[in-house]
Amino acid sequence: MEIRPILSAMMRNRSGVLLVGLQIAITLAVAANAAFIIQQRLEKIGRPSGVDAANMFYVYSYGYSPSYDSKPTLAADLDTLRRLPGVLAASSTNGMLLSGGGSANSYQASANTKAPQIPGNYFEIGEQGLNALGVKLVAGRNFRADELTYSGLDNLFPKQIIVTRTMAKALFGDERVVGRLVYSPTGDAAEIIGVTQNMMGSWVDNRHPENVVFHPILQRGARLTYMVRTEPGRRDELMARAEKALSKPGDGRFVVWVHSQEHYIKNSYRSDRRMVVFLWTMICLMVGVTALGIVGLATFLVNARRKQIGTRRAIGARRIDIVRYFMVENGLLTAFGVIAGAGLSFLFSYWLSNMFALPPLKLRFVLWGIAALLLLGQMAVFIPARRAAAVPPALATRTV
Amino acid sequence: MLEMQNVVKIYRTDLIETHALRDFNLRVADGEFVAVTGPSGSGKTTFLNVAGLLEGFESGSYRLDGKNIGELDDDARSRTRNQKIGFIFQSFNLIPDLDVFDNIDVPLRYRGFNAAERRRRIERVLELVGLASRARHVPSQLSGGQQQRVAIARALAGEPRFLLADEPTGNLDSLMARQIMDLLEEINSRGTTIIMVTHDPELANRAHRNVHVMDGQVTDFHAFESPLAAAV
Ligand SMILES: Nc1ncnc2c1ncn2[C@@H]1O[C@H](COP(=O)(O)OP(=O)(O)OP(=O)(O)O)[C@@H](O)[C@H]1O
Ligand SMILES: [Mg+2]
Repeated sequence: MEIRPILSAMMRNRSGVLLVGLQIAITLAVAANAAFIIQQRLEKIGRPSGVDAANMFYVYSYGYSPSYDSKPTLAADLDTLRRLPGVLAASSTNGMLLSGGGSANSYQASANTKAPQIPGNYFEIGEQGLNALGVKLVAGRNFRADELTYSGLDNLFPKQIIVTRTMAKALFGDERVVGRLVYSPTGDAAEIIGVTQNMMGSWVDNRHPENVVFHPILQRGARLTYMVRTEPGRRDELMARAEKALSKPGDGRFVVWVHSQEHYIKNSYRSDRRMVVFLWTMICLMVGVTALGIVGLATFLVNARRKQIGTRRAIGARRIDIVRYFMVENGLLTAFGVIAGAGLSFLFSYWLSNMFALPPLKLRFVLWGIAALLLLGQMAVFIPARRAAAVPPALATRTV
Repeated sequence: MLEMQNVVKIYRTDLIETHALRDFNLRVADGEFVAVTGPSGSGKTTFLNVAGLLEGFESGSYRLDGKNIGELDDDARSRTRNQKIGFIFQSFNLIPDLDVFDNIDVPLRYRGFNAAERRRRIERVLELVGLASRARHVPSQLSGGQQQRVAIARALAGEPRFLLADEPTGNLDSLMARQIMDLLEEINSRGTTIIMVTHDPELANRAHRNVHVMDGQVTDFHAFESPLAAAV
């Protein structure tokens, strides 16, 4: 292959070649890092919630009249919800999963105040709480109805708790924790009576989103939130039914909203999805501009070399030889661009990871980027190269 | 042997048709040195383009080395140009991005010779045209006469049977023109058939034979006679 003469011809068009080479390098650096971030975001968005999110919803009730009493309302509401055909379980709760809001506490594996404090995102639920989430126990047992207490200042830390496997590991380095005691920083003790599968807590951006703890506590006060799980496919129908069933005129309270679990998940990942769309758009724009740059440079070089192309044809080049010339030239240009771009990618990644605490770029994103840019270059140069091959050999004698 | 019979070449543009060659008849035997003369626009370059397979033609027959050129496809024409024909252009047509050595190398690469063979041939023709010391100069570092000698070297490196030259001395002063002519005569004496278009009567006189073209046709031809005499 005629690489050396092509290289020396490129050296004589240095400025255009350098500019487009630099463009390719920058495109690789930005696109590889952007693709890496996209992949992380997609992985984050795609994380399983661990609960039966598709069939869950929440009902929020607000009691406004002086005669409103939360205890009988709660009992009656739970009874009403559980009686709706298609409802599998209903429980009161102190927060919505993956909603961006919730409660957290510190938990310790020993009473020693110097023991490490493990942050846990806790949910106050009833005996149907786990079922309403669709979360299964992997060890131990569920809360019993007689263990439930009402929320209030005096019982912030309960006597029994259930933890996720991840929380168990975080506390004890082991999942076999049923029967062990967990302490609050103020020295209250609770017995772990069950361990559940992993599930996400309240915050998608939490560093330990699966450090979840359940407390056997019922809600009280003006604001009550119910968590309901339905048979597959009946959620929307039952959301409407539940709202209607709890809205009795004149009972001193009203249903403020009914939201599906998916509503919260969608909202929580909105900024991540926006980031994905933004980065994709940026990649496409950069790649598009680079492709235009390649086409532009190749078109310029083809036009500037028309006489030379005619001469090459006259002295024996076939059309394919001319096409190949420009393809090889582009291959060399892109190769220089991506070699520089690979270095630049990791520099850029280093800067990003320092600025925004991102993990370091994985090599395979750079390799894919290189492959994509080489392919892009060959495709972009093909049309100008074909035009070059169409230069008639007679041009050699017809131009001065 | 080059043989054209009733070759017709028409250029068509949106506005007009130009009959650049009309019933063009010519035979050139192997080893001949033919000068083609004629007024501007008479069809000399057109003839050379058709003869050199740079352009096709509308009708008539053209046989080169016994091969019917009209039947060849584009790739076969490229190969024939590469192997049998050497071109010398009025404006040299060296590739400005490449040095002398690489310029001569271009047709040899298309020919598919290996590096050693190409080097051998390049060194031989550079010796022949007297530019061995300039192998690494680029065209812009050479005089017009030197550039044309490089072009001749490039045309000869493939050892073609035919050398086609369109006013090879048109851009050179008379001293350089004579040197180029000396070189062409020497090449012809070694067996290469040469067809040269020229406006210069002195150079035309040095050819074996003059072919006078007028209005797309060969008007007359006289071996070893001056084109001025032929025109009378
Ligand atoms: N590509 C083209 N398209 C249209 N007409 C053309 C084309 N090339 C040549 N011609 C016409 O064909 C005719 C013959 O041109 P040609 O170049 O062969 O003349 P020439 O004898 O070489 O002239 P000169 O001595 O000036 O070089 C001219 O009338 C010219 O205008
Ligand atoms: Mg001419």
